[in-house]
Amino acid sequence: MLNSEKRSLLRFLVIYLTSTLLLFTLASGIFFLFTKHHLLDTQRDTLRYESEIIKSKLRVLHQSNTIPLLYPKHDMIDSMIFDKDKHYIFGTLAKTSWEESQSHPNRLYYMAKVEPYYLGAGYVLTSQMIDYDVITDLKKNIFLFMLGAGIFFSILAYYLGHLFIAPMRDSIKQMNHFIQDTTHELNTPISTILTNIELIETFGKHEANHLELKRIEIASKTLSRIYDDLTYLNLNHQYHRNIITLNMSTFVEERILYFTGMIEAKNLTIRTDIEENIIRQIDKNDAMRLVDNLISNAIKYNKHHGVLEITLTKMSLIVKDTGIGIDEKDLAVILHRFKRANKSEGGFGIGLDIVNQVIQSYGYILKIKSKIDKGTEVEIKWKK
Amino acid sequence: MEKIIIWILLGFSLGFAETHLLLNPSLENDCLQCHQNQQIPSNLIYKRYLMQYSTEKAIEKAMFNYLTHPLISNSIMPPQFFLKFPMKEKSMVADEVLKVNIKAYIKHFDVKQYLRIQK
Repeated sequence: MLNSEKRSLLRFLVIYLTSTLLLFTLASGIFFLFTKHHLLDTQRDTLRYESEIIKSKLRVLHQSNTIPLLYPKHDMIDSMIFDKDKHYIFGTLAKTSWEESQSHPNRLYYMAKVEPYYLGAGYVLTSQMIDYDVITDLKKNIFLFMLGAGIFFSILAYYLGHLFIAPMRDSIKQMNHFIQDTTHELNTPISTILTNIELIETFGKHEANHLELKRIEIASKTLSRIYDDLTYLNLNHQYHRNIITLNMSTFVEERILYFTGMIEAKNLTIRTDIEENIIRQIDKNDAMRLVDNLISNAIKYNKHHGVLEITLTKMSLIVKDTGIGIDEKDLAVILHRFKRANKSEGGFGIGLDIVNQVIQSYGYILKIKSKIDKGTEVEIKWKK
Repeated sequence: MEKIIIWILLGFSLGFAETHLLLNPSLENDCLQCHQNQQIPSNLIYKRYLMQYSTEKAIEKAMFNYLTHPLISNSIMPPQFFLKFPMKEKSMVADEVLKVNIKAYIKHFDVKQYLRIQK
């Protein structure tokens, strides 16, 4: 799966699962509150029923002439009677004020009016501890439901995501096949052109058409580099690296020489500060992709008569130009494939993507500083 | 044997003291004596007050009103009650004494003291 496919799938999963989770949380929250109130109402109904029993027993006690008067008691439910001015008369709980008698947060209360005032009672207050077991069970059931729904919707989202990105995957496959075929067809003519240019230069038959020949050489080298890049991208991660001890100092100088034609064509001033014998363990083709893409970009996006600075030290390789620069908002996405900050020059937008892939393979660090109309500085730090 | 008889006599006398000696003498002389002679059910009257007015203050007020203005319309008892029992004459006792007697009456018949939690 390509990175872009993974990103799309991930975004879809995040949006789909987050919205589903929010919806279910909201629905479960409402359901929980509704059911909790219903459960508490059921418990309150028990209190109401008990208060009716107490009222009828108060009537019996009021009419009784026996002593003592036995006040009814329930194992689970406490009760108190208050006169019509809400002064405590009697109860299964100790004497207390009207307000204090209803202030326990873990108890349920039910107040019933008594009329006529049997034993002087204006109110019967019944109370019991809230049965939290049923509420805990409710929470447990909702949690299990959410867990089940979460698993189900995650699986569903995964399959839906794959279903949705299938057309995109097919398009990318088709495009890759097209590029693969095109690059394959380009290889032979480019090689032929470059070989023949070398032959003409070797046998000295180019004096009359030196300038035109130089232009053909530059164009052919550009094509050749594009071909190399496209081939690398087509191979993706199946590319086999042959790590060697490479003298980067010599190598960078060779690559500058390779681009001499392009540099001259744009009348650039080249300034180099290359320390001698900088050695790196790297695949030669990777080093070429790295250096070539950076130099090629610095030439391509530079101004005519601009300056190209290349610095190589034990710590880093810096390629700096005085070109059009990159907007700050584009810097974050400039490494993405097919992303081009400026479309005034040719290209596919794959150069920095390849550079990024190579530096990630070797654990290097890429830093880009740029200012519009001032230029761009690309630094590759060899070590973290 | 003598000791047993002494203890029994002591028990009886304490029991008698509990029911009679604790009474306010003024209440006894001014109210209950006459009630007992005429066999007026004081306990029943108090319960009717309690069922009608609930609070001590309201009962005190209603009783005072009746005792100072003894009319059938001011009485807590139904009119039929006065077919059997004579209408009380207006109290000649001073208001302050009357109020004290009413409080003592309520305290004496208060049901709270007889309430116990069922086991």
